[in-house]
Amino acid sequence: MLRYDVGVIGAGADGLAAAATLAGAGLKTIVIERSTVAGGRAQTREFHPGFRASPFADEVAAVPREIHWALDLTRRGAIFAPMPSLAMWPDRHHILQPSRETEARCAGVLARVNAVAASPPPRFGFLRTASYTPWPAEDWAQASLTDVLGEGDEAAHRIAATLAGRTADPYLAGSALHLLAESNSGVVLGGLARLASALTNAAREAGAEFSLGLEASDIQSHMHRVTGIGLADGTEISARAIISTVDLKRTFLSLFPWSALPPPVVKRAGLWRMGGGTARVLLALEKAPDAPRSAIHVAPDAKVFAEAHAAWRAGTIPTAPPATLRLISAADPSLAPIGSATLTVTLGAIPFRLFDGAWTHEKRDVLRALALAAAESVFPGVSASVLAAEVIAPPDIEEALGATEGDLMGGEIASDQMLGLRPGPRTEMAGLYLGGPSSAAGPLGACAAGVAAARAVLADFRRLK
Amino acid sequence: MSDCDALVIGGGVSGLTAAAYLARAGLRVIVAEARNKLGGACESMSFGEGFHAPLTQTLYALDPRVVKDLKLNLKFAVRDMALTGLRADGKHIVLSRDGAARSIAVHSQADAKAWKRFRRELFSLARDMRALWWDEGTFSVSRERLEPFRRLSAAAWLDGWFESDALKATLAFDATENGLSPFEPGSALALLWRASQEMCGLQGAVAALAGGPPSLVQALLEAAKVDIRTGANVSRILLANGAVAGVELASGETIAASIVISSASRRRTLNELLPTGAIGFARADSMDRANPKTGTAKVALALSALPMFAGVPSTARFILAERLESYAAAYSAARAGRLPDELIMEAVTPTAADSSLAPIGQHLLIASVRPVPLAMNDEMKAQLTAKVIAAFARHVPGMHVVASEVLTPAEISSRYGAQDLKMNVAQMLANWDERLRTPISSLMLCGESAISGRAGRIAAAMAIRDKT
Repeated sequence: MLRYDVGVIGAGADGLAAAATLAGAGLKTIVIERSTVAGGRAQTREFHPGFRASPFADEVAAVPREIHWALDLTRRGAIFAPMPSLAMWPDRHHILQPSRETEARCAGVLARVNAVAASPPPRFGFLRTASYTPWPAEDWAQASLTDVLGEGDEAAHRIAATLAGRTADPYLAGSALHLLAESNSGVVLGGLARLASALTNAAREAGAEFSLGLEASDIQSHMHRVTGIGLADGTEISARAIISTVDLKRTFLSLFPWSALPPPVVKRAGLWRMGGGTARVLLALEKAPDAPRSAIHVAPDAKVFAEAHAAWRAGTIPTAPPATLRLISAADPSLAPIGSATLTVTLGAIPFRLFDGAWTHEKRDVLRALALAAAESVFPGVSASVLAAEVIAPPDIEEALGATEGDLMGGEIASDQMLGLRPGPRTEMAGLYLGGPSSAAGPLGACAAGVAAARAVLADFRRLK
Repeated sequence: MSDCDALVIGGGVSGLTAAAYLARAGLRVIVAEARNKLGGACESMSFGEGFHAPLTQTLYALDPRVVKDLKLNLKFAVRDMALTGLRADGKHIVLSRDGAARSIAVHSQADAKAWKRFRRELFSLARDMRALWWDEGTFSVSRERLEPFRRLSAAAWLDGWFESDALKATLAFDATENGLSPFEPGSALALLWRASQEMCGLQGAVAALAGGPPSLVQALLEAAKVDIRTGANVSRILLANGAVAGVELASGETIAASIVISSASRRRTLNELLPTGAIGFARADSMDRANPKTGTAKVALALSALPMFAGVPSTARFILAERLESYAAAYSAARAGRLPDELIMEAVTPTAADSSLAPIGQHLLIASVRPVPLAMNDEMKAQLTAKVIAAFARHVPGMHVVASEVLTPAEISSRYGAQDLKMNVAQMLANWDERLRTPISSLMLCGESAISGRAGRIAAAMAIRDKT
């Protein structure tokens, strides 16, 4: 049997940052990833000869500055290029001027929440029974996006920028929490894979080991204390601590036999709601349209988001899903041949489960048509120039990344599933740490949850000594 | 210039209750009612030939103390109206006090099993909350039990208990008052609020008065021997040295009073009746933004026969909502100014138990449809009526509508000054001081949770205590 101090499940940004932190502190660490390449959603591939794109996201949430420096990511090649935000209505467009007041308020709240998430109070409210210590931004749990941002064009644009690729009813109390999960940091030059390779290098140089291409199939435990990880080929890895960076439903409901968990954990994990609603369409364009280097939100209106969200709940593809267009090759010319362009369309409020059955080819074609319609409304005539279009529906995201229901946020962003009501990094199982998107810091920034979990492991190890 | 000790704005149930308590304490009280009729939203509207449709058909939160203290002589036509869900597929669900499990089992065996535990937990939590909602006093719900409800939506809570759409969608209706969506935090708390009330000694019961709500107004009038002025529209509240000094009527007459209790909404009282800036501009602005964007419309149908739904008692209240998701769709459509494709409503047939409301042999069906857009043009009103008729005609072959009447949310609030603040968790967990007091001393509100009369009683008690 292989023996390690810590096993990290999942080699996404969180897992890699966790491994780099742990190995850097001298612990024997192994990262287990089912895909043959590390990176998770931070990957870039060629989807048509000469055209490359990061299939699951163009931008990632900002890596907290302190983690960026600690892992020396700039030297390792992760260079971010900002992507300004533009809103397009049929008759005009609107460029998002950073409104200092809102910006500063969001940043201030985010910083405070991040600080709490990094060292949460000993008992969290995940099981809805323990005493709950109020977190910063608690008032946002009762506020809607329209309460916080107001109404009108500027607000509509800001709502669109916040919800790009996600879904929420901006009029409902609790939707303001989406502001915490926003903070896009721009595209990574060379594609998101460059971020993955920078993080991988950081982990390798620190001494972390990797097991790629084999899925972790179960977590072994004894008396509510985890003891090791079983791999798909039957290999067993013993570890004193395990950091799971997959979402909480997958962690608790598919990596454990339910009898090994305290019943309230099984119940709560079963009731945990996923809020995935992203579909992506990657377009290879023969001729580059004349467009600014921006994320373009098509026809933003809070009411459109509300109606699309209602359709999402009912399991139907909205007739007008919110769409965000990014001509990523304008920000990063390496992604398309000279004179051509790569355009990504991110559709929000696309349900994972359709009320009328499975995601068939016809339904994917509906997404393609919706994406082309959105592109056409911004760049008239662009359809004629499309060489290839790849559709990525929510089930594809689930299958490729193992994110339950294709939700990259690890659970619906709702008042009863955010802030202190997200679990982690410590859990009811001794030795098991949650460092993925479902944990408190998960939606707040890239790598933050992984590093928070790693720090919790280090603190607990020190205490045991 | 006429003088009195206390002036009550509005002659609805809350206002009359407050007036009755003030008078009991020996104060000289004047009730100023803007319209020529008393009763506010308890009024019946007449339509068709000889039909009287009460605007509020049911009572679910009449304060038992008010009934006892004022010795109200009330006769109930129905003491415990069962909550029922009318389903498109005809498998109606009847949540009566004793036979609910059997009816739920048709939809889901697991839900039928969970029902008993759910009711027990709902009622016990709700009883704990009475300390806060029923009387002034220290609030002692254990934080552990209450804490989740600050953040929980009714949809998430019900999803945790049940699997069948029929049951969840039917239960969720009571969580949707004042523009609250069952997907919002606080809506689970709204369910607790309903369950904490008591009618005819039964927890969580919904009752109907014989003669309709006007008989409650009549009983209150008999109990409150006070000076009542109808047609007295209060246009301003007068202040002197930061305290209330009286009111000015639209006619120009002023009435001096050292206590003013307003049953108009908080926003109308503070933003419209007080001098501009009296409560601070920031507060005034925040209240202007918190208004609900959807409302409840009333549709009254006069029928030539009592509509019967298979297996459902006629004295029940009928909820039409197919799934929880229907609420989400309805809210977004209503907010965008359209009628939802699937209307969500509660309906009653008051004439099943009380024949005085319609000509002999004929019947009434009154539907409260929500959410709908606040304002509707005539075309939309006609469309609304047609959809309501269609929703019931599907279950009642040969249903014949003699006459119909629609009141849009905008019409209701322009007539009766309805609730205009969107419900939220903070309001639901506020204590009575926060709810009824205003920044102006001796100016109290009693318009919140209007039908209970409780606010009127407590506002009067507070005002009297402050003065002595």
